Amino acid sequence: MNEAEITEKVIALITPYVKNRDALVGISKDTSILGDLGVNSARLVDIVLAFEDAFNIEVSDDAADSITTVGDAVALIGKLVA
Amino acid sequence: MPLPWTSRLALRVQRALSYAGFVLFGPVLMALYRFRFRFSAHAVKQIRAEYRALRAAHPGPLLICSNHLTLVDSIIQAVVLGSLWDYLKHPASLPWNLPEVKNFYQRWSWRLVCYLGRCIPVQRGASPQQAKLVQARMHYVLDRGDAIAIFPEGKRSRDGRVDDRDFSYGVGQLLNQIPKAQVLCVYLRGMRFGGFADFPKIGERFYLQMQMLSPQSAAKGLRRARDLSAQVVARIKAMEADYFSARASGQLALPDGR
Repeated sequence: MNEAEITEKVIALITPYVKNRDALVGISKDTSILGDLGVNSARLVDIVLAFEDAFNIEVSDDAADSITTVGDAVALIGKLVA
Repeated sequence: MPLPWTSRLALRVQRALSYAGFVLFGPVLMALYRFRFRFSAHAVKQIRAEYRALRAAHPGPLLICSNHLTLVDSIIQAVVLGSLWDYLKHPASLPWNLPEVKNFYQRWSWRLVCYLGRCIPVQRGASPQQAKLVQARMHYVLDRGDAIAIFPEGKRSRDGRVDDRDFSYGVGQLLNQIPKAQVLCVYLRGMRFGGFADFPKIGERFYLQMQMLSPQSAAKGLRRARDLSAQVVARIKAMEADYFSARASGQLALPDGR
Protein backbone atom coordinates (compact mmCIF):
# COMPACT_ATOMS: atom_id res chain seq x y z
CA MET A 1 0.00 0.00 0.00
CA ASN A 2 1.56 3.34 -1.01
CA GLU A 3 1.48 6.62 0.88
CA ALA A 4 -1.28 8.14 -1.25
CA GLU A 5 -3.55 5.16 -0.63
CA ILE A 6 -2.85 5.28 3.10
CA THR A 7 -3.56 9.04 3.17
CA GLU A 8 -6.85 8.58 1.35
CA LYS A 9 -7.95 5.84 3.72
CA VAL A 10 -6.81 7.80 6.79
CA ILE A 11 -8.87 10.82 5.75
CA ALA A 12 -11.88 8.60 5.11
CA LEU A 13 -11.55 7.09 8.60
CA ILE A 14 -11.12 10.46 10.30
CA THR A 15 -14.01 12.17 8.45
CA PRO A 16 -16.95 10.78 10.52
CA TYR A 17 -15.41 12.24 13.70
CA VAL A 18 -14.65 15.70 12.34
CA LYS A 19 -16.59 18.55 13.98
CA ASN A 20 -15.12 21.37 11.92
CA ARG A 21 -16.37 20.22 8.50
CA ASP A 22 -14.99 23.33 6.77
CA ALA A 23 -11.44 22.21 7.60
CA LEU A 24 -11.98 19.07 5.48
CA VAL A 25 -11.83 21.16 2.31
CA GLY A 26 -8.16 22.02 2.65
CA ILE A 27 -7.09 18.92 4.55
CA SER A 28 -3.39 18.11 4.20
CA LYS A 29 -0.65 16.25 6.03
CA ASP A 30 -0.10 19.30 8.24
CA THR A 31 -3.72 19.45 9.37
CA SER A 32 -3.98 19.01 13.12
CA ILE A 33 -6.58 16.38 13.96
CA LEU A 34 -7.48 17.90 17.33
CA GLY A 35 -6.88 21.58 16.64
CA ASP A 36 -7.96 22.06 13.01
CA LEU A 37 -10.53 19.32 12.58
CA GLY A 38 -12.07 19.73 16.05
CA VAL A 39 -11.83 16.06 16.97
CA ASN A 40 -11.80 15.56 20.75
CA SER A 41 -9.27 13.30 22.47
CA ALA A 42 -11.73 10.46 23.14
CA ARG A 43 -12.73 10.37 19.49
CA LEU A 44 -9.04 10.36 18.56
CA VAL A 45 -8.86 7.05 20.42
CA ASP A 46 -11.78 5.81 18.29
CA ILE A 47 -9.91 6.91 15.18
CA VAL A 48 -6.76 5.06 16.24
CA LEU A 49 -8.83 1.92 16.87
CA ALA A 50 -10.41 2.37 13.43
CA PHE A 51 -6.86 2.53 11.97
CA GLU A 52 -6.04 -0.74 13.74
CA ASP A 53 -9.08 -2.46 12.26
CA ALA A 54 -8.75 -1.03 8.78
CA PHE A 55 -5.00 -1.61 8.35
CA ASN A 56 -4.79 -4.72 10.54
CA ILE A 57 -2.11 -3.18 12.75
CA GLU A 58 -1.57 -2.66 16.47
CA VAL A 59 -0.86 0.87 17.71
CA SER A 60 0.80 1.19 21.12
CA ASP A 61 -0.43 3.82 23.59
CA ASP A 62 2.78 5.82 23.16
CA ALA A 63 2.53 5.71 19.38
CA ALA A 64 -1.11 6.81 19.59
CA ASP A 65 -0.05 9.77 21.73
CA SER A 66 2.40 10.83 19.02
CA ILE A 67 -0.39 11.32 16.47
CA THR A 68 -1.13 15.02 16.16
CA THR A 69 -1.55 15.64 12.44
CA VAL A 70 -2.88 13.67 9.49
CA GLY A 71 0.75 13.30 8.37
CA ASP A 72 1.72 11.75 11.74
CA ALA A 73 -1.01 9.14 11.30
CA VAL A 74 0.02 8.38 7.71
CA ALA A 75 3.71 8.05 8.69
CA LEU A 76 2.93 5.78 11.64
CA ILE A 77 0.64 3.53 9.62
CA GLY A 78 3.17 3.43 6.78
CA LYS A 79 5.78 2.15 9.23
CA LEU A 80 3.45 -0.44 10.78
CA VAL A 81 2.16 -1.90 7.52
CA ALA A 82 5.62 -2.07 5.91
CA MET B 1 5.39 8.03 33.42
CA PRO B 2 7.17 8.15 36.83
CA LEU B 3 6.14 11.13 38.94
CA PRO B 4 9.08 13.38 39.94
CA TRP B 5 9.78 13.39 43.69
CA THR B 6 8.90 17.10 43.86
CA SER B 7 5.40 16.35 42.55
CA ARG B 8 5.03 13.44 44.97
CA LEU B 9 6.06 15.66 47.85
CA ALA B 10 3.72 18.42 46.66
CA LEU B 11 0.78 16.02 46.65
CA ARG B 12 1.61 14.78 50.14
CA VAL B 13 1.85 18.35 51.43
CA GLN B 14 -1.43 19.21 49.71
CA ARG B 15 -3.11 16.20 51.31
CA ALA B 16 -1.84 17.17 54.78
CA LEU B 17 -2.82 20.82 54.37
CA SER B 18 -6.22 19.88 53.01
CA TYR B 19 -6.80 17.77 56.11
CA ALA B 20 -5.81 20.67 58.37
CA GLY B 21 -7.89 23.04 56.23
CA PHE B 22 -10.84 20.68 56.40
CA VAL B 23 -10.92 21.01 60.20
CA LEU B 24 -11.28 24.78 59.74
CA PHE B 25 -13.29 25.08 56.54
CA GLY B 26 -15.29 21.84 56.62
CA PRO B 27 -17.84 23.24 59.10
CA VAL B 28 -18.10 26.44 57.01
CA LEU B 29 -18.80 24.35 53.90
CA MET B 30 -21.42 22.29 55.71
CA ALA B 31 -23.04 25.47 57.06
CA LEU B 32 -23.18 27.00 53.56
CA TYR B 33 -24.67 23.79 52.20
CA ARG B 34 -27.30 23.54 54.88
CA PHE B 35 -28.19 27.15 55.74
CA ARG B 36 -27.07 29.47 52.94
CA PHE B 37 -28.21 27.28 50.04
CA ARG B 38 -30.72 25.21 52.04
CA PHE B 39 -29.57 22.02 50.33
CA SER B 40 -30.56 18.62 51.64
CA ALA B 41 -30.27 15.03 50.47
CA HIS B 42 -32.69 12.15 50.28
CA ALA B 43 -31.83 9.32 52.72
CA VAL B 44 -28.52 10.95 53.63
CA LYS B 45 -27.90 8.84 56.76
CA GLN B 46 -28.39 5.66 54.77
CA ILE B 47 -26.09 6.89 51.99
CA ARG B 48 -23.32 7.80 54.43
CA ALA B 49 -23.60 4.45 56.21
CA GLU B 50 -23.42 2.70 52.83
CA TYR B 51 -20.32 4.67 51.80
CA ARG B 52 -18.64 4.00 55.16
CA ALA B 53 -19.34 0.28 54.74
CA LEU B 54 -18.03 0.32 51.16
CA ARG B 55 -14.80 2.06 52.17
CA ALA B 56 -14.35 -0.41 55.03
CA ALA B 57 -14.85 -3.31 52.62
CA HIS B 58 -12.70 -1.75 49.86
CA PRO B 59 -10.03 0.35 51.60
CA GLY B 60 -7.70 0.67 48.58
CA PRO B 61 -7.75 2.97 45.56
CA LEU B 62 -11.23 3.98 44.54
CA LEU B 63 -12.55 5.73 41.46
CA ILE B 64 -15.86 7.40 42.19
CA CYS B 65 -17.46 7.72 38.76
CA SER B 66 -20.53 9.89 38.54
CA ASN B 67 -22.77 11.72 36.14
CA HIS B 68 -22.07 15.42 35.71
CA LEU B 69 -24.70 18.16 35.70
CA THR B 70 -23.39 21.17 37.63
CA LEU B 71 -20.02 22.80 38.29
CA VAL B 72 -20.19 21.83 41.97
CA ASP B 73 -21.18 18.17 41.64
CA SER B 74 -17.93 17.03 43.29
CA ILE B 75 -18.58 19.19 46.36
CA ILE B 76 -22.22 18.14 46.67
CA GLN B 77 -21.24 14.51 46.22
CA ALA B 78 -18.58 14.74 48.95
CA VAL B 79 -21.02 16.38 51.36
CA VAL B 80 -23.69 13.76 50.71
CA LEU B 81 -21.32 10.78 50.89
CA GLY B 82 -19.77 11.63 54.24
CA SER B 83 -20.11 13.78 57.33
CA LEU B 84 -17.32 15.98 58.71
CA TRP B 85 -16.64 13.33 61.29
CA ASP B 86 -16.47 10.57 58.65
CA TYR B 87 -13.79 12.44 56.72
CA LEU B 88 -11.82 13.43 59.80
CA LYS B 89 -11.76 9.79 60.89
CA HIS B 90 -11.10 8.38 57.41
CA PRO B 91 -9.27 11.00 55.34
CA ALA B 92 -8.81 8.54 52.46
CA SER B 93 -12.57 8.57 51.94
CA LEU B 94 -12.61 12.26 51.03
CA PRO B 95 -12.18 12.12 47.27
CA TRP B 96 -9.65 14.05 45.23
CA ASN B 97 -11.24 16.09 42.46
CA LEU B 98 -10.24 16.89 38.90
CA PRO B 99 -11.54 20.37 38.06
CA GLU B 100 -10.84 21.97 34.73
CA VAL B 101 -8.30 24.79 34.89
CA LYS B 102 -10.50 27.06 32.76
CA ASN B 103 -13.41 26.88 35.21
CA PHE B 104 -11.70 27.11 38.57
CA TYR B 105 -8.17 28.46 38.30
CA GLN B 106 -8.74 32.05 37.14
CA ARG B 107 -9.04 33.55 40.62
CA TRP B 108 -6.66 33.07 43.54
CA SER B 109 -9.53 32.52 45.97
CA TRP B 110 -10.81 29.60 43.89
CA ARG B 111 -7.28 28.28 43.47
CA LEU B 112 -6.97 28.16 47.25
CA VAL B 113 -10.34 26.44 47.59
CA CYS B 114 -9.28 23.89 44.98
CA TYR B 115 -5.93 23.33 46.64
CA LEU B 116 -7.48 22.73 50.04
CA GLY B 117 -10.29 20.75 48.44
CA ARG B 118 -7.82 18.15 47.17
CA CYS B 119 -7.94 19.07 43.52
CA ILE B 120 -5.65 18.01 40.72
CA PRO B 121 -6.28 20.51 37.91
CA VAL B 122 -6.83 19.14 34.43
CA GLN B 123 -6.79 20.96 31.13
CA ARG B 124 -9.03 20.08 28.22
CA GLY B 125 -6.99 19.69 25.05
CA ALA B 126 -3.72 19.37 26.98
CA SER B 127 -0.66 17.98 25.24
CA PRO B 128 -0.03 14.23 25.68
CA GLN B 129 2.89 15.10 27.99
CA GLN B 130 0.71 17.29 30.23
CA ALA B 131 -2.03 14.67 30.23
CA LYS B 132 0.50 12.03 31.27
CA LEU B 133 1.69 14.17 34.16
CA VAL B 134 -1.89 14.59 35.40
CA GLN B 135 -2.46 10.84 35.05
CA ALA B 136 0.74 10.18 37.00
CA ARG B 137 -0.56 12.41 39.80
CA MET B 138 -3.87 10.54 39.85
CA HIS B 139 -1.98 7.26 39.82
CA TYR B 140 0.09 8.39 42.80
CA VAL B 141 -2.84 9.38 45.02
CA LEU B 142 -4.75 6.24 44.09
CA ASP B 143 -1.72 4.08 44.86
CA ARG B 144 -1.71 5.56 48.33
CA GLY B 145 -5.26 4.25 48.84
CA ASP B 146 -7.16 7.49 48.26
CA ALA B 147 -10.34 8.01 46.28
CA ILE B 148 -10.72 10.17 43.18
CA ALA B 149 -14.02 11.60 41.94
CA ILE B 150 -14.14 11.47 38.16
CA PHE B 151 -16.79 12.20 35.55
CA PRO B 152 -16.60 9.43 32.94
CA GLU B 153 -18.56 11.45 30.40
CA GLY B 154 -15.68 13.96 30.41
CA LYS B 155 -18.12 16.88 30.32
CA ARG B 156 -21.39 18.04 31.79
CA SER B 157 -24.56 16.54 30.30
CA ARG B 158 -26.02 19.50 28.41
CA ASP B 159 -29.40 17.84 27.91
CA GLY B 160 -29.55 16.71 31.53
CA ARG B 161 -29.13 13.02 30.72
CA VAL B 162 -26.07 10.76 30.79
CA ASP B 163 -24.44 10.77 27.36
CA ASP B 164 -23.63 7.14 26.61
CA ARG B 165 -22.55 7.85 23.02
CA ASP B 166 -19.96 10.62 23.18
CA PHE B 167 -17.95 10.07 26.34
CA SER B 168 -14.30 10.19 27.38
CA TYR B 169 -12.08 7.14 27.94
CA GLY B 170 -10.16 8.59 30.89
CA VAL B 171 -11.64 6.16 33.41
CA GLY B 172 -10.62 3.20 31.28
CA GLN B 173 -7.11 4.59 30.86
CA LEU B 174 -6.78 4.99 34.63
CA LEU B 175 -8.06 1.44 35.16
CA ASN B 176 -5.52 0.19 32.62
CA GLN B 177 -2.78 1.77 34.72
CA ILE B 178 -4.16 0.76 38.11
CA PRO B 179 -6.04 -2.51 37.66
CA LYS B 180 -6.50 -2.90 41.43
CA ALA B 181 -8.57 0.31 41.61
CA GLN B 182 -12.20 -0.27 42.51
CA VAL B 183 -15.00 1.55 40.73
CA LEU B 184 -17.91 3.10 42.56
CA CYS B 185 -20.60 4.33 40.17
CA VAL B 186 -22.67 7.22 41.49
CA TYR B 187 -25.80 8.85 40.17
CA LEU B 188 -26.42 12.32 41.65
CA ARG B 189 -29.30 14.59 40.72
CA GLY B 190 -31.36 17.37 42.19
CA MET B 191 -34.87 16.08 42.81
CA ARG B 192 -36.60 19.46 42.90
CA PHE B 193 -35.02 21.19 39.90
CA GLY B 194 -32.39 18.76 38.57
CA GLY B 195 -30.85 19.02 35.11
CA PHE B 196 -27.91 20.91 33.64
CA ALA B 197 -26.88 24.13 35.41
CA ASP B 198 -23.77 25.93 36.61
CA PHE B 199 -25.00 25.84 40.18
CA PRO B 200 -27.93 24.00 41.79
CA LYS B 201 -30.88 26.19 42.76
CA ILE B 202 -31.40 27.21 46.38
CA GLY B 203 -33.45 24.64 48.27
CA GLU B 204 -32.40 21.75 46.04
CA ARG B 205 -32.79 18.25 47.46
CA PHE B 206 -30.29 15.74 46.12
CA TYR B 207 -30.75 12.11 45.26
CA LEU B 208 -27.66 9.89 45.26
CA GLN B 209 -27.41 6.25 44.38
CA MET B 210 -24.17 4.22 44.38
CA GLN B 211 -23.14 0.82 43.07
CA MET B 212 -19.76 -0.93 42.98
CA LEU B 213 -18.72 -2.16 39.56
CA SER B 214 -15.92 -4.43 38.35
CA PRO B 215 -15.60 -3.65 34.66
CA GLN B 216 -13.96 -6.40 32.62
CA SER B 217 -12.39 -6.64 29.19
CA ALA B 218 -10.26 -9.24 27.43
CA ALA B 219 -8.84 -6.55 25.14
CA LYS B 220 -5.65 -4.57 25.72
CA GLY B 221 -4.52 -0.96 25.58
CA LEU B 222 -6.82 1.66 24.11
CA ARG B 223 -9.48 -0.90 23.18
CA ARG B 224 -9.60 -2.07 26.80
CA ALA B 225 -9.82 1.54 28.00
CA ARG B 226 -12.79 2.07 25.70
CA ASP B 227 -14.52 -1.16 26.85
CA LEU B 228 -14.07 -0.36 30.54
CA SER B 229 -15.22 3.25 30.15
CA ALA B 230 -18.29 2.11 28.21
CA GLN B 231 -19.25 -0.30 31.00
CA VAL B 232 -18.95 2.43 33.64
CA VAL B 233 -21.05 4.88 31.61
CA ALA B 234 -23.63 2.17 30.86
CA ARG B 235 -24.00 1.48 34.58
CA ILE B 236 -24.51 5.15 35.40
CA LYS B 237 -27.03 5.37 32.57
CA ALA B 238 -28.92 2.39 34.05
CA MET B 239 -28.90 4.10 37.46
CA GLU B 240 -30.38 7.19 35.80
CA ALA B 241 -33.16 5.03 34.34
CA ASP B 242 -33.79 3.64 37.86
CA TYR B 243 -34.07 7.19 39.20
CA PHE B 244 -36.61 8.31 36.61
CA SER B 245 -38.70 5.19 36.91
CA ALA B 246 -38.76 5.52 40.73
CA ARG B 247 -39.80 9.18 40.40
CA ALA B 248 -42.49 8.35 37.83
CA SER B 249 -43.94 5.53 39.93
CA GLY B 250 -43.97 7.64 43.08
CA GLN B 251 -41.59 5.30 44.91
CA LEU B 252 -39.19 8.22 45.24
CA ALA B 253 -40.71 11.51 46.30
CA LEU B 254 -39.81 14.83 47.88
CA PRO B 255 -40.84 15.38 51.52
CA ASP B 256 -43.83 17.40 50.31
CA GLY B 257 -44.98 14.38 48.31
CA ARG B 258 -44.06 15.74 44.85
